[in-house]
Amino acid sequence: MDVTRTVGLDRNDVIAAAKSIYSLVLLLLLWEFVAQYDMVHSYFLPPLSDVLATFYELTADGTMLEHAYLTFRRAMAGLLLACLLGIVVGVLAARNRIMGWFWDPIIEVGYPVPVIALVPVFMFWFGTGDLSKIMLVAVGCFWPVAINARNATREVDENLVWSARMMGTSDRRLLRRVVVPAAAPGIISGVQIALPIALIVTFVFEMVAGGGGLGHLEIQGVRSFESAQVYASLIAIMIVGFTLDRGLRYLRGRLLVWT
Amino acid sequence: MNRTQTHRQHPSNAESAHETMVDGHVTITELEKVYESGDERTTAIEDFSVTVPSGEFLGVVGPSGCGKSTLLYLVAGFLEQTTGTIAVDSDPIDGPGTDRGVVFQDYALFPWRTVMGNVTYGLEEKGVGKEKRQATAQRFIDMMDLDGFEDKYPKELSGGMKQRVALARTLAYDPKILLMDEPFGALDQPLRESLQDHLIDIWRELEKTVIFITHDVEEAVYLSERVLIMTRHPGTKKTTVNIELDRTQPREELVLSDEYTTTKNDVWQSLREETTPGGEH
Repeated sequence: MDVTRTVGLDRNDVIAAAKSIYSLVLLLLLWEFVAQYDMVHSYFLPPLSDVLATFYELTADGTMLEHAYLTFRRAMAGLLLACLLGIVVGVLAARNRIMGWFWDPIIEVGYPVPVIALVPVFMFWFGTGDLSKIMLVAVGCFWPVAINARNATREVDENLVWSARMMGTSDRRLLRRVVVPAAAPGIISGVQIALPIALIVTFVFEMVAGGGGLGHLEIQGVRSFESAQVYASLIAIMIVGFTLDRGLRYLRGRLLVWT
Repeated sequence: MNRTQTHRQHPSNAESAHETMVDGHVTITELEKVYESGDERTTAIEDFSVTVPSGEFLGVVGPSGCGKSTLLYLVAGFLEQTTGTIAVDSDPIDGPGTDRGVVFQDYALFPWRTVMGNVTYGLEEKGVGKEKRQATAQRFIDMMDLDGFEDKYPKELSGGMKQRVALARTLAYDPKILLMDEPFGALDQPLRESLQDHLIDIWRELEKTVIFITHDVEEAVYLSERVLIMTRHPGTKKTTVNIELDRTQPREELVLSDEYTTTKNDVWQSLREETTPGGEH
């Protein structure tokens, strides 16, 4: 039990945090400066303060949250679907000869395909609604999840499996009792790799097909010459991405205390 | 803390299981193991027969690559022999089973389980209830001087401690036969010696049959009642040497005794013939 850690922020913590983002702050100041002195036309780059003001307005009237929620929901639904399928396929491809024979070549070919290229195809087949978007996110995320699950499963120390079998674990229980827990770090890495893919696919699909979401909000900004809205959407997607990434890391820490 | 004390007061529960255990002999008859990859056939073990009586501590030494580990994995049931039979108490083995327990050189602990979780694993698989499980595990954790480390994960332990956990884990589910594959090979000398002595104590107390693979002649002679020497590739039984030492004396005296030195030299000579090129093979 670590009781020495205080919940509140120490002054040193704040300074340390600020120091760690020095370069970021510098860049943002440069942005404000360049835009304020009209070194770049404000249509291309409105001042940061304008962008933040727009961001605030859109957040205050609920628009931003509504769009962010749409993007979040699609990305998460697709990612979740990809995890369910990808982990099962990956683990079985590594443990079962027939599954390996079937899936290995498919995974190898599917992994490097830029899934964005399938946006028009999915619009053809499934339309522009949520289902179409979620399915494409799932397709895009499936590969990294499956390939990482497969590789992690392959690398499970055979002595662990043997130890378990010696102690009476049946073949059927082996996956749940030993293989999946042993492969868990690699499996979770796959999910972490898939997360930005989920966001990218959702964002691009929303730009192309509309239906709300941060991608839609951004492209709307371009079409109505509201460049501050473009950058505000960008900030929103960065916040969403950052939060989800941190969330996953936290979850990883909780699930894998033993690593 | 409370839990630990209560269990220490009733060690007889877990011990009674061992009192009735007089079986556990291994009979290996005309064993042969051929590895096939493509057109290539490699004979790892050939014409190998030996009987290990119940409760015997058998050391197995041989030049590297002689198939010692293959032999152990065959007895464990991890590998399938090409011909011949391996029987435990006259029943031919069929794959891995809880009548045997393996201790690996690399410990093979479950990293996602705590020390307690590792030691209770085999009991969970046997369907032993939680309280009984914890009690039995605690007994072996104490036996291996691991009390206080129950909630630690393997990554937090040193090599010597990991091997003690591995031993406790194996002992906890009470196999009749211990199969040990160079278990102390990765440890430094003092640690190794203390674990060797620990193992002898446990072996005496629990009356297990032990097959102990090592490349270290001193270790084999020090621990075993009988040492089996294997020939170079393909591995077969060259000879067995009975070790008759006065085990009542402490280690320091034992290793200086004439019997120890003579026996060690005999085994060493025999092994040397196998390791020197231009020897028997």
